[in-house]
Amino acid sequence: MIEIQHLSKTYGTKQVLSDINIRFEQGKVYGIVGENGAGKTTLFRCIAGLENYAGNITSSMQPLKNHLGLLLTDPFFFSKITGKEYLQLLCNARNIAITDMDSRNIFDLPLEQYADTYSTGMKKKLALTAILLQQNQYFIFDEPYNGVDIQSNIVITEIIHKLKSLGKTVIISSHIFSTLSDTCDEIHLLKNGQFSMSAGKDGFGLIENEMKTSGVGNKLERLLLQ
Amino acid sequence: MKDYFSLQLRLTNRKLQDAGMLPLVGYLLLSIAFIGLSLFLFYKSKYAPYIYPFIALSFITPLSEVRRNEFLKTCFGDKKYRTIRLLENLTISLPFIVFLLFKMEFIGAGALVLLSLALAISNFNAQLQFTIPTPFGKKPYEFATGFRGTYLALFIAYALAIIAVSVSNFNLGVFALLMVFAVTLSYYAQPEHEYYVWSHSYTPTRFLLNKIKTAILYSTLLAAPLALLLCAFFFNQAYILLFIVAAGYVYLGCIITARYSSFPHEIGLAQGILLALCIVAPPAAILILPYFFNRSVERLQPILK
Repeated sequence: MIEIQHLSKTYGTKQVLSDINIRFEQGKVYGIVGENGAGKTTLFRCIAGLENYAGNITSSMQPLKNHLGLLLTDPFFFSKITGKEYLQLLCNARNIAITDMDSRNIFDLPLEQYADTYSTGMKKKLALTAILLQQNQYFIFDEPYNGVDIQSNIVITEIIHKLKSLGKTVIISSHIFSTLSDTCDEIHLLKNGQFSMSAGKDGFGLIENEMKTSGVGNKLERLLLQ
Repeated sequence: MKDYFSLQLRLTNRKLQDAGMLPLVGYLLLSIAFIGLSLFLFYKSKYAPYIYPFIALSFITPLSEVRRNEFLKTCFGDKKYRTIRLLENLTISLPFIVFLLFKMEFIGAGALVLLSLALAISNFNAQLQFTIPTPFGKKPYEFATGFRGTYLALFIAYALAIIAVSVSNFNLGVFALLMVFAVTLSYYAQPEHEYYVWSHSYTPTRFLLNKIKTAILYSTLLAAPLALLLCAFFFNQAYILLFIVAAGYVYLGCIITARYSSFPHEIGLAQGILLALCIVAPPAAILILPYFFNRSVERLQPILK
């Protein structure tokens, strides 16, 4: 369980998150949606402890960061580090000994090649493999489907289902609504730094409609008229 | 084209400002360091005229990287692009050429001019298509990635050690050993990405001690064959070699802790001055190393709590 109480975050004078309250339960998958700049990544960075914030973030396993796998939107790779060394580095960081790295390579990545030569999707898959190998209890996937091929999309969805069945807590952000409705138990719409709508499976349609209305509205007409 | 060079100047000024100094002061310090190190090299080694052009080329070759050149070509068109490449190569090699002329090394200076021009019309992919194997895969990343970027410098250091033994020149051997440590120190010059630091489930103290332990272990792996070779042939001066190895370990400790003492930023001017003080007066490390260590613990505390 991760519990967030009265979380607020400002950058200078800009309020990015404002009084966020939410509880992420064990064995559930949560979707966070919102426009670019709505504060999704900032929320994830606060949960991970990568940002200072006001409010409280607590978890059943302490310290939270040592049990959290964070998949960044655009994972960073050192120049001239191989895929295998990257996995080794992140496993060493959590004191996890992996002996059969090749059999764990579920995405068939070229682990002996330099990771910075990988395509966008391959980089994402490598970063995902690393946080799965770390045996975390909590997972945050920031745009896991970005740049990933269709087969891997299916694999990622299956991984999320598997993590749920193992009792892990998963939080996902995605701009592809269908991927969230396939995997999530709850979806929360982040708007102007606050959750403006939250819904269980039955209410996903409402959130999608709200996003269409506020995101598209009459913007296309305005554009075409110009 | 003029815009391109004024942009480069602005970027360089910005880097100096980020390091905490006025651009003018930065250029002055860099000039002094350049002249000082050049004089030191020529004073210490009779092979300096051969080593010197290679040092100059190590600054020029990164400019021939394919993707960078493709970008320039797209922006400026073929003719302007060639002029830019010629001018930037000559600008970088100019201080080296002037110094070689000052030292009456006309052949070296001429060769450097020709090589600079040749490199201006050739591009190569800095990203090799094959992976360079390293013995550092168990504990990535600094030595594994650093080795792949500096294996030529290490090869030169080993070659110099063999020449030192064959011509019985102890000073050249010392230079080669220092070069190995200088190369390994460079692996820690850049700040580590916050995600990798964050990933560790260690306390700041344990994180730093692990970094230092790995650095000592892997630098020994690189320096030991060379140090043992030199010890075997210059047995009476082995204590000097051992002192250099010990100093190398201390410098590694200093640069690692200096790196995290300004985390997540690059090593600043203040840390740079303290590091320079350590190199000039090694006993100063007794005070500076614990200072950097404590500062690093403070800086890492928020992310490794």
